[in-house]
Amino acid sequence: MIAGLCAALLIPLAVGQNLLYWPDPTWRPPESATAKPNPLANRPAAAAGGKKLFLRECAECHEKDGNGIARKHSADLQLPVVQQQTDGALFWKITNGDTGRGMPSFSKLPERERWQIVLFLRTLRPAEQAH
Amino acid sequence: MRIACFWFVLATALGLLSAVARAQESPYFVTYDHHMEEPGNVEIETSGTSGIPRAGQHFFLAPYTEFEYGVTARWTSEFYLEGQTTAGDSTVFTGWRIENRYRPLKREHLVNPVLYLEYENINEASKILKEVEGAAPNLSSPNALLRQEKDHELEGKLILSSDAHDWNLAGNFIVAKNFSQNEGVEFGYAAGFSRPLATLASAEKCRFCRENFSAGLEFYGGLGSTLSFGLNDTAHFVAPVMAWMVSDDATLKFSIGFGLTHESAPVLLRFGYNYEIQGIGGKLSRLFGGNP
Repeated sequence: MIAGLCAALLIPLAVGQNLLYWPDPTWRPPESATAKPNPLANRPAAAAGGKKLFLRECAECHEKDGNGIARKHSADLQLPVVQQQTDGALFWKITNGDTGRGMPSFSKLPERERWQIVLFLRTLRPAEQAH
Repeated sequence: MRIACFWFVLATALGLLSAVARAQESPYFVTYDHHMEEPGNVEIETSGTSGIPRAGQHFFLAPYTEFEYGVTARWTSEFYLEGQTTAGDSTVFTGWRIENRYRPLKREHLVNPVLYLEYENINEASKILKEVEGAAPNLSSPNALLRQEKDHELEGKLILSSDAHDWNLAGNFIVAKNFSQNEGVEFGYAAGFSRPLATLASAEKCRFCRENFSAGLEFYGGLGSTLSFGLNDTAHFVAPVMAWMVSDDATLKFSIGFGLTHESAPVLLRFGYNYEIQGIGGKLSRLFGGNP
């Protein structure tokens, strides 16, 4: 069992996946931002554009499938700790970045494009390991 | 013409080499906004400023290459090399600059301040007009004379920038001190607004979609110095600007500036090509056999 656990942890680390990601406790959106609904929620097709943006803007640090990179301490976006956040919270985090941990602000992208990235994040298959 | 060819070949070669990169650039040439270089990335920009002369002046082309590095998510450092060629005169190297921008606030706000500090080691033949401060630049004297006058200049800017409803609004207040000449402390300004032409990304990769274009307008000029503050003998420009993301790794920019005073060049044409290389440290490490 211990060997199984070790394998479950080490194999993803070996390929760079950041299952050990732990969010910055000071990186909290205000409640007004958390409560914001995604204005594109009824346009699921817009997620395809979000994927294009994700690959261009985010994959460098989060990998193409959102696994994150342990070396960069970038979030595994499939983890429940990320997926359980509201659309508004994810939008706020994309907009503001977490500059202390190296994540830049992406406010230079138009608002709707940031919401498209949030739509795409919802399509990432959650990892089987619960955190 | 030789220097223009050199810059064109350099830009093309570097563009072909940049296999993994990304760009979503502001269309401004002179105005700075609060968006910083992503940490660990290098952006290489090759630009040129060209002036259509008044009577007694000569057509010029002033190319410059800029290397921008994201030190952290809030600190960007840049290094410039610049030159200039004047029709019927000569081609000269006009110097180098190093600049740093620091964003003191962690989060996005209604107005986002950025502090800017630059050291310039250039000569008076410099015509890139990356910023305009103090009195109007000398566009009439021959290069042989101008290049003898050295400028060791320290320049500070307060950059204020805001993103609202997909518009960017930015204003820069410039203070510069040339330690080589007794010009007092010089002042200048730059301001601009811009917006992408579309705000929703299409699913397909496309190069001519509106989402790949952004456009705006910028204004810049000098405000005199502590020796002579005001608009007397200063240059001012208004310039429509346009950026086109030609690929995921490269952006082309273009601007036509119109001089607003007699001391300004009547028309300034600017063009720029930039591309970004992600994670330059890791790439160099791999190149030399290291483990990034």
